[in-house]
Amino acid sequence: MFLQQLINGIAQGSLFALIAISFSLVWGLLRMVNFAMGELYMLGAYAGWLVVMHVTPNLGVALFAGFMVGWIVGWLIEKVAFKAMRGVPHIASLVCTIGFSFFLKETASTLFGAETKSMPSYYSQTAFTIAEANISWLQVLMVAVAIIMMVLLQLLFYRTKVGLAVRAVALDYRTASLMGMKVDRVTSLAFSLSGALVGFVGVLAAIYYNAVNAGMGFVPAIKGFTAAVFGGITSIPGAILGGYLLGAIENLSVKFMSSGYRDFVSFLILIIFLLFRPNGILGKKTKL
Amino acid sequence: MKKKLISLISTVLLVSSGFAAWAAGTPNSSIIHIALTAPITGDYAEYGNNFKHSVEMAIDEINANGGVLNKKFELSVGDSKGDPKESAMLAQKWTSDSTIVAQIGDFTSTCCMAAQPIYNRAGMIQLSPTASHTKFASGSKWSFSVYGSQYWEQPVMAALAVDKLKFKNMALLYINNDWGVDTQKSFKENFEKRGGKIVATESYFQGETDFNAVLTKLKEFKPDALFLATMYNDGALISKQREKMSWNLPVIGASALYSPQLIQLGGTAVNGIYSNVSFFAKDPDPRIQAYVSTFEKKFGNTPNFAAALAYDCVYILADAIKRAGSVDRNAVRDALASSKDFKGLAGSITFTAERNAIKTYKPVQVINGEFQLVE
Repeated sequence: MFLQQLINGIAQGSLFALIAISFSLVWGLLRMVNFAMGELYMLGAYAGWLVVMHVTPNLGVALFAGFMVGWIVGWLIEKVAFKAMRGVPHIASLVCTIGFSFFLKETASTLFGAETKSMPSYYSQTAFTIAEANISWLQVLMVAVAIIMMVLLQLLFYRTKVGLAVRAVALDYRTASLMGMKVDRVTSLAFSLSGALVGFVGVLAAIYYNAVNAGMGFVPAIKGFTAAVFGGITSIPGAILGGYLLGAIENLSVKFMSSGYRDFVSFLILIIFLLFRPNGILGKKTKL
Repeated sequence: MKKKLISLISTVLLVSSGFAAWAAGTPNSSIIHIALTAPITGDYAEYGNNFKHSVEMAIDEINANGGVLNKKFELSVGDSKGDPKESAMLAQKWTSDSTIVAQIGDFTSTCCMAAQPIYNRAGMIQLSPTASHTKFASGSKWSFSVYGSQYWEQPVMAALAVDKLKFKNMALLYINNDWGVDTQKSFKENFEKRGGKIVATESYFQGETDFNAVLTKLKEFKPDALFLATMYNDGALISKQREKMSWNLPVIGASALYSPQLIQLGGTAVNGIYSNVSFFAKDPDPRIQAYVSTFEKKFGNTPNFAAALAYDCVYILADAIKRAGSVDRNAVRDALASSKDFKGLAGSITFTAERNAIKTYKPVQVINGEFQLVE
């Protein structure tokens, strides 16, 4: 059953990894954290749920809906919490994202009701069985999606002009803007992309756990942020690695200890690790 | 300018607080003001709304019949969101209002126990429809549990597990809060007393959605059956994830699983689950049928056990006020404590010395997407 727990951990780790990428994206550009990430995840899940229940049972459409809702709300948050507050102390933007977090959560619970909604299963049949451990098609899909997303983002950042622009802005946004680059547009794009990514993950999570509710984003967002710091928040491959490691550690700690110690173990490991390597696994030293 | 502003604001504050004190302090002799604390939003919203609807319904009925001691009931409702902090804050609010005679609520044992010291200090009745922690009602002379306690519920489930279903080795999964710990402990004791063996025990924290890891671990111990000390929403999620793992085994659980929502959320995955009830909506008793049909007509859903218990709370409180002959908090408390054989919808109520109602529980099972009494 060690293998089964490892598989569970990798599947859960895919969700953490994708959320971690979103945190890295925002951090890389603005050196800031978007605390409303969990609510973007939740809104994505609701969008997917609405599509599945009322429009079409097509999973692709549901995932796309989550992606789009995340994109739009992410864009909006950037406009209000970051663009409108450029030049004022960073802390104002942070508090503003906390405000968004509560606002979006309460809005969802007022609009859709506070109770948990049921999401139908997709691809839950067993794909492979290795030594009594079952791997479902959905788990395969989640890992595949995480890896594809990572590859696409790497290509976007290192092979395209837009990516070059994002990197230039991340490096030094003042110089970049002096060079005539449209800093606002680049920031807006990266922010929307990070929102879209968590919205997309929200739909995946809703299908994986068969549940949608207004409070569903809080824990995954904290874990995703943790995974990003663990892997090195400046690096996207690091974020992915951090996500998978956190997922695996959590699930294996259930195997070897009582499940009540699940978060205790993973966060203890994290704290000790950061004492020795404060920049995370793949993070580079940065001056703040 | 600034000084003027400050003095203006302070004058406004002073005057308005004077008004507030005047409004709150005037005892209105024609009403009986009671408070309801319930999780109207949040994870337990279904229970909270059942509380609210039922209490409002009971109060409307009593008022329509002339009230008690020629006074009409008036209700203030507070939303605790299932959060112990909010519940304690509401307790502060209610106890500082001198017009409030008694408080009904909260839903979870954890919330009730967080607010308990506040009601105890202020001397206000804390009448919980559903708190079932074995140490809740005994914790303060002002606390009452209409539900009774796990101390009486779990022997019924243990008897079902051992005598009828012949389970020998069971695994336990519980939510790690006051209620969950107490419920699983109570079940374990009773199950072991009857010769059963608990082979594995695992827990999770409120808000968890990933049960794959705990279920995988429990499966390793190859139990005959699984006991769930969880609410309906987690129970449904656990069942769905268990079904996905293709781990098929009998499941029994605490009465908190008894809710139409369990079936709505869990679908086919919850078929076969055993639970127990003190109130059953399909009970042929005409009083229960009258209540259920009025409730359904008014609110569009079938009342669950929490609704029936909240309804009983209003009536037993009204009865105590009638017997006390006044709305004095002390007199009402003493009258409530001496309630005997009060005929509620969810069984008759007699409080023990520790203010727990003694109840009888009937096992139920989900068969083809519906709860049915187990013969």
